[in-house]
Amino acid sequence: MRNAGKALVIIVLLLLGIGFLLLASASSVKGMDEAGDIFFYVKKQLFWLFLGVLGAIGAALFDYHWLHKVKLNLFLIACTAILLMLVFAPHIGKCIKGSHRWIQVGPLSIQPSEFAKLTIVIMLSTWMTLKGRFATNIKQGLAVPLFALAAMLGLIFLEPDYGTTFLLAGVGAGIMFLGGTRTSHLVASGTLGLMLFVLAVMHNPVRLMRFLSFVFRDAYPDAAYQLTQSETSFALGGVWGVGYMKSMQKLYFLPEAHNDFIFAILGEERGLIATLGVLFLFVLLMLFGFSISRRAPDRFGSLLAFGMTMLLSLEAFINIGVVTGCLPTKGLALPFMSAGGSSMVSSMVAVGVLLNVARHIETADEHMRSIKDKDVYALEKAPEVSRGVRFQKT
Amino acid sequence: MNKPGNLIGWLRKKLNGISRLWIVECLLLLAFGAVGARLVYLHAGPNEVRIQKAQDASEFTKSLVPFRGRILDGSRNPNILAISLGVHDICANPQMLTAATNTELAVSILSAYLKMSKEDVRYKLRFSDKKFAYVKRFVTRDISERLWTQITNNHIKGIYLEEATLRSYPQNNQACHVVGFVNNAGVGSLGVEMTLNSSLTGTAGVVKGMRDGKKHEIYTRRTEEIQPIQGDDVILTLDQQIQYFTEKALDDAMAQHSARAAWAVVQRCRTGEILAMASRPAFNLNEYGAETDMSRMTNRVLSVVYEPGSTLKPVTLALAFTEGLVTPETMFDCENGSWFYMGRILRDYHPYSRLSVADIIKKSSNIGTAKIALMMGDEKLHKGLRAFGFGRKQGVELPYEEYGILPRLEKWSGLSCSRIAIGQGIAVTALQMAGMMSAIANDGFLLKPYVVKSIASSDGKPRFTAEPVVLGRPIDSKVAALMRYLLARVTEEGGTGTRARVEGFKVAGKTGTAQKPVPGGYSETAYMASFAGFLPADKPEITIVVVVEEPQPYHTGGVVAAPVFAQIAEQTVRYLNLEPTEPVEGAPGAAAPAP
Repeated sequence: MRNAGKALVIIVLLLLGIGFLLLASASSVKGMDEAGDIFFYVKKQLFWLFLGVLGAIGAALFDYHWLHKVKLNLFLIACTAILLMLVFAPHIGKCIKGSHRWIQVGPLSIQPSEFAKLTIVIMLSTWMTLKGRFATNIKQGLAVPLFALAAMLGLIFLEPDYGTTFLLAGVGAGIMFLGGTRTSHLVASGTLGLMLFVLAVMHNPVRLMRFLSFVFRDAYPDAAYQLTQSETSFALGGVWGVGYMKSMQKLYFLPEAHNDFIFAILGEERGLIATLGVLFLFVLLMLFGFSISRRAPDRFGSLLAFGMTMLLSLEAFINIGVVTGCLPTKGLALPFMSAGGSSMVSSMVAVGVLLNVARHIETADEHMRSIKDKDVYALEKAPEVSRGVRFQKT
Repeated sequence: MNKPGNLIGWLRKKLNGISRLWIVECLLLLAFGAVGARLVYLHAGPNEVRIQKAQDASEFTKSLVPFRGRILDGSRNPNILAISLGVHDICANPQMLTAATNTELAVSILSAYLKMSKEDVRYKLRFSDKKFAYVKRFVTRDISERLWTQITNNHIKGIYLEEATLRSYPQNNQACHVVGFVNNAGVGSLGVEMTLNSSLTGTAGVVKGMRDGKKHEIYTRRTEEIQPIQGDDVILTLDQQIQYFTEKALDDAMAQHSARAAWAVVQRCRTGEILAMASRPAFNLNEYGAETDMSRMTNRVLSVVYEPGSTLKPVTLALAFTEGLVTPETMFDCENGSWFYMGRILRDYHPYSRLSVADIIKKSSNIGTAKIALMMGDEKLHKGLRAFGFGRKQGVELPYEEYGILPRLEKWSGLSCSRIAIGQGIAVTALQMAGMMSAIANDGFLLKPYVVKSIASSDGKPRFTAEPVVLGRPIDSKVAALMRYLLARVTEEGGTGTRARVEGFKVAGKTGTAQKPVPGGYSETAYMASFAGFLPADKPEITIVVVVEEPQPYHTGGVVAAPVFAQIAEQTVRYLNLEPTEPVEGAPGAAAPAP
């Protein structure tokens, strides 16, 4: 695990390579029909990849401790909130199938919730680091970060984008859990949140139908169509797959084949070997990400690395869980693979931040740590107030 | 026994030393492991049903509708009587259309191009839970293609075109009863369209292959393609020109005599071909659906039976000659027009005291004919009528042909022989009368009437060519020649059929005036006026039978039906370019010897 950064780069490159080959096949029919070019989506995605690589390099090069600055955090939060609200603005916001998830900027559509992901990770990491041992306090450790998180999630929830809401709730809870919030506090508020979520779902006929069709699939064959087709794709692929470019399901049998359900096309074309392989790559991504978090030079870096890893691996897990019928259908992309610009850029930036933290592992020394990590400083100076603080040693 | 508090305390103690990151890591690993297990199950588990369903869903089969064959007339440059045109049915998915945001735009475009009111369009789309509805069927291609451009330009979803064929009858109501029509399901329902439906329909083709999730065919994965075989063309014996003469003559007669109905048939007597067959009132083939009076669709020539009256007398005479019972010179006492026989009085229209057999037919004496029939006896008359084709189908290729009513011999009373001989107590069709007349004209050979001259495939290969069929020979050629001579006298001065004469031709025929049977006897006011004959009398070419039902105020065959015969015959012989057999008055070569 010493060269976690290098391993991470190799994993991401592998995922990107497989992703682009897969996208070329899965989006060919749709691209041909919509733009007369079978590589239409691939070209579009290449442009976003270019932006993503720039973002990743940028995120990797500067010192991540900049992100710890409170003013920068406030600025990021303000920007994200404005962007999230802009999706409802006429002319600027774009509505597809009843969801206001996009902002139209010239020819590009941007999904603000993708950038909210990064903001939330940075914001919570900063807060939990600042509060340090006071995280056990119900106000400092639970109420304030939960309020900030809930405000952001509320905006995303209104779009509505339940998938991202769910994902970010998980990631946020994870950062708070690691940051030292009491487990009982988290469990209690998690239960409350879940109840609110269930209430909201029950008031939305579309989502309720999705959930019901997930549970009682035979009773709602129309609503469960996408899920059934997705599972059929895996069955058609078998162990070895039907062969590259030979997918039948991408011919409009499987809706969103190039997008949220691209993993099913991988299953059909390349079979069990490929799907397990990609799953394994995401597991490796998670392991190396957590390894970086574990060995980060300071608490902020640790939380940041943990949050970014959670973003990528939890999203991958939810996406694959949905595609395989383990979870109810949500509109979440598969990182590095699904067509979608904002998702590509935010995932690449997340990887960049992870690399940034990894870069600092080697250069860290005790001197810098004690200056930058207030908790360690506080712990060393005042051990008598450290009772109850579950501080994780890096 | 641990208290719950103790258990939590124990857990806390255990977990205290463990890093929280490790807990999260383990949970995620477990989750990924579960998904991996699910993947193995989905890929390699029991999934035959899923695979079968997917293969069924991607199967594509479409039948290609063949064009129905044409119906042509038998003239030298065939005229089209029926043809199929490629058209579109405008279909809609009301569910998709009413759910869309641009429903109103769609309705207004449809109403503008299809020339329907918006209410009508909305009415067609009223079942918003259904996935299929016809907006309008059989729309010509120029309209449907312009409509389609509008629909695609406005991004309207839920409207589509379906290939269809429309049966079109360029001549509207000409020969409507012979040609017939095709119902909405594409099945012939009258006339030749019905009887030759299988030849006209052709064979559907099929395309097999795969389709995508939008149910569109994937052209590159087509596995089977069988083109449809277009329906065969049917060429009728009918001649559009002669048909026109006939229909015109009937229309004139209907107007002139305020008749209820009228029908006529023109037959080539040497072959049995039907050159024209018309029935009035008629209907428009292109608007058959709007027709409310179903009697207009009756082909009266072969579907209506009537008492023929005097037109049947030639049969009695011909049979008597064949039996050698009488000669044309044999004299009969015609009882001064009123003969009391078997408790009933039989009357003649004009009273005569004595008439030769030749004059009995010329003057159409009922009493004389009845006496000849009584000499012959029931059995021979019945057998002879059967031999002439009465009481049975002639076998023409048209539906709903009637048998006529020839009572079985056991049911004949003492009076039957004398009445049937003069055409009462027997019912016939005009087609049977034409057959009888043609048999006399054709040296005694009774021929099967037919309307289909040939059938050819769409690329011109002949499939069937009709040939004359002899049904029987009731009389020999000597008797036939004698009958032709006697029937020709009917149209001479002093005969009943002088109005059937055609300039330049000797016409043979027989008039008929029959009272219509009503419950309990015969009507005093309703008559059937008819004329059956052929020309030229010595070298017959065409047979024509004309029947007019309930003419007013004149009602005799000689006054009502004979002129119709003459009108049809005159135009037909000129059209067929028959050589005149008699000198034409006033013509340069008219200095022929007086008869």
